[in-house]
Amino acid sequence: MQCAESLRVQAYFDGELDALSAADIERHSGTCAECSALLDDIKQTRAALRHDLGYESTPPELRARIMRALDQEIEAKLPRLQRQRITGRRLRPFWQGAFSGIGGTAIAAGMAFFLLAPPLTNPLLDDLVSAHVRSLMPDHLIDVVSTDKHTVKPWFAGHTDVSPVVADFDQQGYRLIGGRADYFDHQRAAVVVYQHGSHVINVFSWAATTGSVPKDTTRNGYHLAFWKTGDLVYCAVSDTAWDELLGLVRLLQDMSTRDAS
Amino acid sequence: MEDRRDRFEAQVLPHLDAAYRFARWLSRSPADADDLVQEAVLRAFRGFDALRGSDVKAWLLTIVKNCHLTALKQQQRRGFVPLPEEHDVQDGHAMIATTPDPEGSSIRRDEARTLDQLMSALPEDQREVLVLREIEEMDYREIATVTNVPIGTVMSRLARARAALKTRWIKQIDGERHAVR
Repeated sequence: MQCAESLRVQAYFDGELDALSAADIERHSGTCAECSALLDDIKQTRAALRHDLGYESTPPELRARIMRALDQEIEAKLPRLQRQRITGRRLRPFWQGAFSGIGGTAIAAGMAFFLLAPPLTNPLLDDLVSAHVRSLMPDHLIDVVSTDKHTVKPWFAGHTDVSPVVADFDQQGYRLIGGRADYFDHQRAAVVVYQHGSHVINVFSWAATTGSVPKDTTRNGYHLAFWKTGDLVYCAVSDTAWDELLGLVRLLQDMSTRDAS
Repeated sequence: MEDRRDRFEAQVLPHLDAAYRFARWLSRSPADADDLVQEAVLRAFRGFDALRGSDVKAWLLTIVKNCHLTALKQQQRRGFVPLPEEHDVQDGHAMIATTPDPEGSSIRRDEARTLDQLMSALPEDQREVLVLREIEEMDYREIATVTNVPIGTVMSRLARARAALKTRWIKQIDGERHAVR
C-alpha cells in the first residue's frame, strides 16, 4: 500500500513545491516511515546517477562534423554573389573596403578558392579551443590528478614555465580535479582543470609576451574568458554557461589579489 | 548571416553536450545518436529565428526528441522494428563518467556499469524522464515540454522510474552477494 502523499514527497524532493506545501511534507515525512524511506531512496538514486553517469560530452569529431554541416547550411542558403562575398570577407576582412565592387568580390572569391578559405582568425584562440577539446579525449585531461592544491602547484614548478594560482573551490561548485602541462604560444603552459557540474573547465596560463589580453569570445560553442594577473595571462575555456565560467574567473582573480596583498 | 551563426553558437551550442547525452539514451546505437544530434542541431539552426524566451536547453532537447520520433517512424515504415532485446544492454550506453576521479576505483566503475545497464533496461518513457530530471537537472515543466506529456504524467513516470531503478539495483546487489558466497 503506497502512501497517498508519495507524489508530493517526490515533488518536495525535486524542489517543485511552494514553501507552505514543503513545510507540510516535511512534517508528514517526519512521522510517515514509508515517505521518509522514499526520500532516502530517491536521494540515493540521484546521487548514484549523478556520480556515475553524468559526465559524457560530445565527441570532438561529432562536434567538428556538426560545425561543418552548419557551414554548408549557411552557404547553401545564400544567393551566389553574397556567398562569394562572405567567403571573401572571412578570408581577408580588410578586402571588404579595398574591393567593394562586383569585380573585387570576384577576385576575392577566386582567391578564396585557392586558399581553401580557412576563416582568418587569431591562431591563439584556435590553439586554446583545440587544447580544450583535446583535453576532453580519454586520458588527455590530467597529468597530475589531485584535489589538493599543495600537490598540483608544486607539480607545475617542474613541468611548466609558469606558476599559476591554484585553489579548490568545491564549496562554490568548482572542484579542482588536477593539472596538466600543455605547449602553446612557444612555451610550456600550465593548465588547471576544474569540474563544474557535468562540465570540465580548463584554466590555461602562460607568460605574457605582449601587453594586450584577447577579448572574451565564443568559438565552436566553447566560451573563452581571458584575464591577466601580474605577468601571467589566464584563459578559462568551457562549454558551461558564461555566468558560471565567469564565476570561476572571479574566484581566481580574488585569490590572486589576496595572495598579492 | 554570420551574425546569426555567432548568436546560435553562443546560445545553443553550450547545450550540445546535453543534446548528445539525451540522444545517446534515446538511440539504440552511438552512430544513430551522432546522426540524431546533427539532424537536431541543423533543425534548430533553421528554426532559430522562431526561438523566444530563454529556455534554450528545453527547446533543443525537444527538437532532439522530435527528430528521434521521426527517425523511428521512418524505420517502422521501412519495416524495421527494433526488438527490445536488440537494445545493447551488455555494453550499456558507455555513459559512464570519463572524467578521471581522484578517488576513482574499479568498484565504482563496476557500479557505474551496473547502473548503466539497469537504466538501459527501463522502459523508454521512464528512462527519458529520469535522465532529464537527474542528469540534465530540468524541472517538471521543462520535462513536460520535451516529452510532450502533461506534468502529472511526468510525475508518475518519474516515480515509477525511480522505484523500478531502486528495486532492480537492490536485486542486482543481492545477486552479486550470492554469487560471491
